[in-house]
Amino acid sequence: MTGPDGPAAPGGPVAPGGPAAPGGPAAGVAVEDVAPVAADGQWHRVHPLTPVIRSWQLLAVALVYVVQDVGQHSLGDDGDDGGVVTALGSLRGRQLLIGTLLGLGVFAAVAALAYLSWRLTRYRVTDEALELEHGVLSRRQRKAPLDRLQAVDIVQPLLARITGLARLTLEVAGGGDSRIVLAYVTETQARRLRNHLLASAAGVRYESPEAPEAAEHVVFSVPLQRLVGALALSGGTIWLGILAIGLVGGSIATGHLGFAAGALPAVIGGGGALWRRFSTNFGFRVAAAPDGLRVQHGLLEQTAQTVPPGRVQAVRISQPLLWRPGGWWRVQANVAGYGSHERGQRALEAGLLLPVGTRDEAVAVLSFVLPDLGVTDAEHPGPVVDGGLTGTLADGGFTASPRRARWVDPVGWRRNGYRMTGTALLLRRGVLHRRLDVVPHARTQSCGVRQGFLQRRLRVASFALHSTPGPLAPFVAHLDSAVVADLLAAQVERARAARRTDASERWMERREPSAAPGHVLDEPAEPAERPGIEQLGDR
Amino acid sequence: MTSHSGVTSGSTPGSSPGGEPFDPVGVTWQRVSTKLAAARRVSALLVLAVPAAVSVVLAVLVDGRFGWALAPLAAIAVWSWWVIGRQARAIGYAEREDDLVVRRGIMWRYVVVVPYGRLQYVDVEAGPVDRLFGIARVQLHTASASTDAAIPGLLPAEAARVRESLSARGQARLAGL
Repeated sequence: MTGPDGPAAPGGPVAPGGPAAPGGPAAGVAVEDVAPVAADGQWHRVHPLTPVIRSWQLLAVALVYVVQDVGQHSLGDDGDDGGVVTALGSLRGRQLLIGTLLGLGVFAAVAALAYLSWRLTRYRVTDEALELEHGVLSRRQRKAPLDRLQAVDIVQPLLARITGLARLTLEVAGGGDSRIVLAYVTETQARRLRNHLLASAAGVRYESPEAPEAAEHVVFSVPLQRLVGALALSGGTIWLGILAIGLVGGSIATGHLGFAAGALPAVIGGGGALWRRFSTNFGFRVAAAPDGLRVQHGLLEQTAQTVPPGRVQAVRISQPLLWRPGGWWRVQANVAGYGSHERGQRALEAGLLLPVGTRDEAVAVLSFVLPDLGVTDAEHPGPVVDGGLTGTLADGGFTASPRRARWVDPVGWRRNGYRMTGTALLLRRGVLHRRLDVVPHARTQSCGVRQGFLQRRLRVASFALHSTPGPLAPFVAHLDSAVVADLLAAQVERARAARRTDASERWMERREPSAAPGHVLDEPAEPAERPGIEQLGDR
Repeated sequence: MTSHSGVTSGSTPGSSPGGEPFDPVGVTWQRVSTKLAAARRVSALLVLAVPAAVSVVLAVLVDGRFGWALAPLAAIAVWSWWVIGRQARAIGYAEREDDLVVRRGIMWRYVVVVPYGRLQYVDVEAGPVDRLFGIARVQLHTASASTDAAIPGLLPAEAARVRESLSARGQARLAGL
C-alpha cells in the first residue's frame, strides 16, 4: 500500500483545483513539510500514510495470516529457499496460488479505495476557520469557525508515533457531531496547526510566518507510583480483588476449576478496564500556557489536549474514601464536545484534568481554569476551597442544609452546601466520596429547582445548575426553600451579568488590545494570576 | 429579583418576600390550555384500554373471574383522571425580560429558568393525540442536555408566538458558550 503513494514521492502543495485530478500515482502529492505557513489558505492533503495508520488492525491481521500460511506451507514442503516458490509446484501450491491471487485482488481493491479516499481528502486553514473535505462516494465538507473553538487535541496512536504522524481533533461547539478530525499529518505540522488555531481563536496577530508556541508555566506530572496506588485503591480494583478472592476460595472449596473459569470473563473485563485507565493516564502531565490548559497523557497512544481559557464549563475536585489517607484528589471538567463521541466510562474519563494529585495540585489546576475565584481581598481563596473540599456546615463561608434535612439525608446533610463568589458558584456534597463542583457564572446554561413531597414537608429543595454534557452535572440537595429561592434569583442575575461582560472569544484581544504582534504569546497576560495560584497553594 | 450578599459574607440570606422557589417574586404565570388535560386523559385511557380489552376477552372466552381485573383498572383510570387534571393546572410559564421560567408538578415540583441568551433552538412538536385536540408542545434546547424545559399544551397560535418570541429574544441576547 505504501508503494504508489509513498512518502518519498515528490510534489509541492496541492493546487487549489479539483482534488481528484487524474494523473500518475506520484503526481500532485502534497508533502506537508513543504508548506511554508500553517495557515496559507491553500488546500493541503493529509499525509499519504494515513490509510495505513487508519487500517493498521486490518493490515496486521492480513500480515499474520500471510506469514502463518507461508510458514505452514514451507514447513510442509521442506523447501529451504523461499517457501512460496517451491510450494507452487504441488497441488497444495496451486490452491495457495489461487488463494494468493484472490487475496492480492482484494488487497489491491482495498488499496485502491484507500488511495482514492486519501486523494479526495483535503483541508485548508485560514485565519477564521479550518475546512475539511472528504468522502469517496458522498462528499462531505465541514468548516470549523475558530471563534467557536473549544479544544484542540493532538492524538498519536502507537503506529503514528513510530511514523512521526499525529491526528488533530478540533472540538467546535455546535451541538451533535461537530468535531473535526484531521488525520494524519506530520507531528510538526500538527503542532504548527495547533499553535496557529489557538492564536487565531485568541485574536492574536503575529507577523512571523509561524504562530509561536506558547510557553508553558507551572507544570505537574503524576508520578507512576501514585498513579498505581490510586488505581489500586479505586472501587474497580477493590471489586476485582473481592471477586478474585471469592473465585479462588470457591475453586479451592469445591475443588472445581470450572467455578473460576465461569467468572473469568468478568475478571478479564475488569482487568481490561483497569489496564485502559492505567495506560491512558500513564505519564499524565498538566501545564498552564497562555493559550490554555495543556494536558498530556498516554502509554501507547499519546494525547496532548489544549483547552483555551474560559472553555472549561465546570470543574469537579473529588476524593473517593480510600484516597483520603493519601490526601489524593481527582480533577474533572466539562468541556463542550469532550466525551460526546464516547459512551459509558470512556465518556466520563474524557474531561480528566488530573487523575490523581495532592490537594495543592488539584487547587492549582482549579486556579488555572478559573484564575480569579472572586473572593474579596480580605479573604483568601484557600479556606473557601477547603471549606468545599473537606468542610461541613458553614466552613469556608458555605451555606449548608438545615438540620431538619437529616430526615431525608441522614449522613450527607452536613456536607450539602453552596458558596457563591464573585465569579463562580461552588457546590459541595458527599461525606464518603467528597465532591466540590465549581461552575463559573459566565458558563451557566440554565438553573432548575426540584422538590419532592417529603422535601416540601421539611421546607427544603434541591438546586441544579445545567452545564454542557460531561462528567459532572452540578447540583446541591436539600437546602432551605427560602435559601434556594434566593440562590435561584441571585444565580440567574449573576449569570446574566457575567454573560454580558464575558468575552471568552478572542480572549487575548480583550486582555491586551494594543499589544505588539508576536509579543502576546511570549509575554503571557498572566502575572496577575500567578499570585492567586500561590495563594491557593499555600492555604 | 432579590439582592444577595453571597460575595462577601456567604452567610444564610435572610428570608426574603419571595421565599418560595416555585413562585418567584414578580412572576405572573401563564396557564396552558385546558385541552392538555383532555388530551392526556385520552392518552391514558387508550393505554388502559389495552389490558381492559384483554381481560374482557379472557373473561368471555376463558373464565369469568378475569373480569375482576377491570376493577383495579377502573380505579387507576379514575385516579389518573384526577391527577392529570391537577398536573395540567400546575403547569405554568412566564416570559421575563431576560429569561423564560417554566414550572410543573404538585407532588414533585420543578421549576427551570432558561436565559434567552442560552437558547440554541426551539422546537414545536405535536403528536397524533395532540393534533386531534389542537395543541402543541414547545421544547427549549440549550447547550446543556440537562436543561429540561418544555411547555406542553399550547394552542398552535400561542405555540408559534412563543417560539417566534423566544427565537427573536435569543438572537438578540445570544452569548457564546
